[in-house]
Amino acid sequence: MTKVFYDHLLIIEEVIAVFDLNAIKGNERKELLQLIDKTMHHEILDTILTHLPRAHHEEFLLRFHSSPHDMSLMTYLNEHAGIDVEKEILKAANTVKKTLIKEIEAAKK
Amino acid sequence: MGSIKTSKLRAALERHAAISESKLGKRHPHAASWFAKRGIRPGDIRLHAARLASAGALAGAMLMGTPFISKGASFGTDKIANAPLDSIQNLFSDNLKSLLPSSVHPLNPEIEDQISRIIEEFWGIRASAKLDGEHLNTTYGYMGAEQHLPHFPGDSVSQHDAYQQSGITPGKGAWGYFANSKNELTDDLVQKEKYYVAVQTLYLPDWETRLPYLREWYKYRKVMVINPVNGKTVVAVVADAGPANWTGKSFGASPEIMAYLDMKDGAQRGPAILFFVDDKDNAIPLGPVERRNK
Repeated sequence: MTKVFYDHLLIIEEVIAVFDLNAIKGNERKELLQLIDKTMHHEILDTILTHLPRAHHEEFLLRFHSSPHDMSLMTYLNEHAGIDVEKEILKAANTVKKTLIKEIEAAKK
Repeated sequence: MGSIKTSKLRAALERHAAISESKLGKRHPHAASWFAKRGIRPGDIRLHAARLASAGALAGAMLMGTPFISKGASFGTDKIANAPLDSIQNLFSDNLKSLLPSSVHPLNPEIEDQISRIIEEFWGIRASAKLDGEHLNTTYGYMGAEQHLPHFPGDSVSQHDAYQQSGITPGKGAWGYFANSKNELTDDLVQKEKYYVAVQTLYLPDWETRLPYLREWYKYRKVMVINPVNGKTVVAVVADAGPANWTGKSFGASPEIMAYLDMKDGAQRGPAILFFVDDKDNAIPLGPVERRNK
């Protein structure tokens, strides 16, 4: 799977473990994981743009667009946001995972 | 274990994806329109990243006139001969970075195989993590700066033609002196000292039990060292053991290698990939790799 610079904070394996427990396999698993991935990107981008001052949005988006995997983006964010962005991303990812895992549980027959 | 009604789950996950996209658009409309102008939906950024990686690979393939990561394809050398070196190194670096983990640690065999294929496509050199059944404890780790090694007993740094400020080790390397005396020093041995690496043979799980064989196998073993950050690549030999684990580094390299790879940060270290070169005919020269091997 192609990487994005904040992947290490998503710890998507936690969701995959729930999929495994519930025997979600094959194409269905792939499609459902893609939907989860989309939600994650929306929420993480929201978190980043909320904490990054507006003046740096354009530059960040340009850099992110040209090299989504570039780990130096995290340094850029930490420098310009003035807070620990990794911590905020981790927090947002955990919230999303918690919500989506609840949905998996709720979908049990 | 429960049984999931996947249609219900899919509907719920689609709803979350739509709500989060809409929230992002409302809170940061300028960002939403920025993405829209480029024909990307923010949730599809991974797909965009995959396209970029493919485009990098394709560009590399176009430069080299062969499909990316093809097996056994014949190679057209004319295009790469005319391509600027920094373009090739950048593409090489992009391809590697798309495979490497976000933190520096040992690679899984699948990634190592993919890197081997990329190396062969870009440089025409067969290099792999495992050769003759031997494998280092890691092929991706931090590489640190070493001093010069003495060529022969009594050698001094003033007799080395470059990077004298790096100094020279007080003792010989783990495989002894390169020559017994100055008279026995050949150009080949001078090149070996210029482009030497230290690897952690001392931590190999079977180093003690297979010492006589491994000692010979590793002596002047030809390796490829890559700085994945900039794509710069060197062919070198193993001529020393180390560094110690507590340093946080997995490899050491001669002053010439460190300078070429641009590992000149304050810590004098950087992430490096180190693969064995399969060169039974000894046809691959030591030093920087700047054009595709024929």
